[in-house]
Amino acid sequence: MATKRPPFWQREKYTPFLLLLPAILTLLFVVLLPLLFSLYTSFTGYRLIRPESLWQWVGLRNYQRIFADGDFWTAFGRTIIFLTIALNLEFLFGLGIALLINKITWGQRTLRTIMMFPMMFSPILVGYQFKFVFNDNIGILNNALQSLGLSDGAIPWLVDKYLANFSIIFAEVWMSTSVFAILLLAGLFAMPRDPLEAAKVDGCNPWQVFRHITLPFLMPFVFIAMTIRSLDVARAYDIVDVMTGGGPAGRTELLWTLIARTGYDNARMGQANAMAYVSILLSIAFTYYFFTKLLAARKYMGGAE
Amino acid sequence: MTKMTFKRLLAATALTGIAATAAIAEEVDYGKFDGYTLRVKLIGGAQYEPLYARIAEWEAMTGATVDVLSRKNHFELDREIKQDIAAGTLDWCVGSNHTSFAPQYGSIYIDLNGVIADATLAEFQTLALENSTVDGRLVQLPRHSDISNLYYIKSLFEDADNQAKFEAEFGYALTPPETWDQVKDQAIFFADAPTFYGTQFVGKDEAITGRFYELLVANGGALFDEDWNPTFNSEAGVEAVNFFKDLYEAQAVPAGSLNYLWDDTGLGFASGTVALNLDWAGWASFFNDPENSKIAGDIGLVRAPKGSAGIRTGWSGSHSFSITETCDNTDAAASFVTFLTSHESQMVEATAGLLPTRAAVWDDAKAQFTADGNDFLVEVFETYAVSMSEDAFTPPLITPWIEVSNEIWPQLQAAILGEKTAQEALDEAADAARIVMEDAGYL
Repeated sequence: MATKRPPFWQREKYTPFLLLLPAILTLLFVVLLPLLFSLYTSFTGYRLIRPESLWQWVGLRNYQRIFADGDFWTAFGRTIIFLTIALNLEFLFGLGIALLINKITWGQRTLRTIMMFPMMFSPILVGYQFKFVFNDNIGILNNALQSLGLSDGAIPWLVDKYLANFSIIFAEVWMSTSVFAILLLAGLFAMPRDPLEAAKVDGCNPWQVFRHITLPFLMPFVFIAMTIRSLDVARAYDIVDVMTGGGPAGRTELLWTLIARTGYDNARMGQANAMAYVSILLSIAFTYYFFTKLLAARKYMGGAE
Repeated sequence: MTKMTFKRLLAATALTGIAATAAIAEEVDYGKFDGYTLRVKLIGGAQYEPLYARIAEWEAMTGATVDVLSRKNHFELDREIKQDIAAGTLDWCVGSNHTSFAPQYGSIYIDLNGVIADATLAEFQTLALENSTVDGRLVQLPRHSDISNLYYIKSLFEDADNQAKFEAEFGYALTPPETWDQVKDQAIFFADAPTFYGTQFVGKDEAITGRFYELLVANGGALFDEDWNPTFNSEAGVEAVNFFKDLYEAQAVPAGSLNYLWDDTGLGFASGTVALNLDWAGWASFFNDPENSKIAGDIGLVRAPKGSAGIRTGWSGSHSFSITETCDNTDAAASFVTFLTSHESQMVEATAGLLPTRAAVWDDAKAQFTADGNDFLVEVFETYAVSMSEDAFTPPLITPWIEVSNEIWPQLQAAILGEKTAQEALDEAADAARIVMEDAGYL
């Protein structure tokens, strides 16, 4: 006797999809729909203050403007340089701090906690703090330099082409180096002792141990930290906005200060979204690069691929 | 019904007869709105808060409750309102507004003509109401006005040594400046970077666009011609940019000026390290308060100087209140904004140095300062009264004003820093402004 087929949602091959449905729906509504919507608006002349402009289809005009816009590409290039310098400095300082803390036997937990303090501040507050530190007239840095006789002029920290970018990178590195330090410290704690002892028995000096055992073991942790931070820095906005607002004369303009001004102050949300889509390519490229490196590092360590 | 008649005889009898008569003619019925909750978005900040202490009075009088949804600075409030427009969440009734921002909001705010009593509107200065009108609609009720005049450290000008040296170097007597050329000479003369500066200017955002704009006008130029073609890359424009550039290159202004906004220049002058400072009326009390300022008691004030065309700078605007089209109780909202701009409310703000928009408050506030023996604020009000009535002009009241401004100020910075010549920078800004005006349908 032929049994009646159950309705499709009760069939076994659909069960996984059924169970995943809540997650799929959530992703659809929370991530995919807004993404599609903003992608659509990037082909319109959508202006925040004119809701009806949402239906004004302009085709590729926003993208054509961006590709011909020197200011956008300067900001794009500056964001890449900013990201490269900030990430490398954070990595070097973070590695140094992690290695030092790993060495000490007393007060390690306290130091770890103190190290996390900068991460607890809102980026806006960090921005204000460094805006004051680097103020040319009443800032403590210039006053300290003048009192110590190291400088007899007011150094324009937030105005000079190089110093302004340096100041912002300094603030960014101050705030986020601990991300690297903490992740790398976790890596050091998880490190097996056997290879280290074997290396010592074989007569390796400390540099060789570090170069050929410790560092390769830490690399997966480094690339995870790099991925997280590259996404963070690629959308850097708060600190820059507070310290310089992208100026003067666009000298510290990064992608997101430009996009925020276009989208909100100028209310050109369509064009801002087009810019955002082009800049997402940057984040995707960096993420892809770091993940490739991560896989290579894990393979080198004999870990899972 | 609660009747509040403005028989401020107690205060008014001590004042001018005209003011008292005018005030009595205005009779305001604030109404009863028991159980109603009025949702509002207000501008926040130290200067603006004292007025909000009066909100409780309005609540007690009308039985309504006020729910303040946000209290932010104008730039943040502007973003929030734009998001509300985009998301269709204009579910509030009263919002703080400003003459510079109002034109971009289109028709989200109602025309207050016919909503606010004529007798009440008659109490306001005609110019303030005109500047609050966009496309023939009174979209905002002016709360207080703003214009800048020139503050200076008195003792520097009284010093005989300074006077002799200045005259020997520049060939004319050292007196408070009448023209912007004299300001430049004097600023360069007084400057001794990095410990002392001749003057200062705000260096970014709409702030520096506004300063450039008023100097452009004072030099005989204009932002646009009558068909809305950008014309600020004219000779007058180049002259205006070079004024800032020359001061910057001579180190007569702080090196970080291009990153300064109003707080930085205000605090800088109060710190006693700047000789001349063009600033808003709202700072007057702060500058003369020994707790905040090192130059209290040593401040002089003159009307904003003249540009090369003999016109005085006078970039002006008003803070205001607007009522949304979507408001579910226009009467309550009208009552609320009328109350916050009433004679008493404006007296509260005037005491802090904010410039009233009601004609009578000018005289009454001045009389009160005289009675209190506050000669400085009397001088402030006399100087600002003249500049408000004779020198004030607003930026063009057009939708894309902020957008045009965002094209101008980065170019001004580039010229001041010497990355481009003034002419190149203004030409580029004018080209970009043209595109903005084309997109907005003006060209």
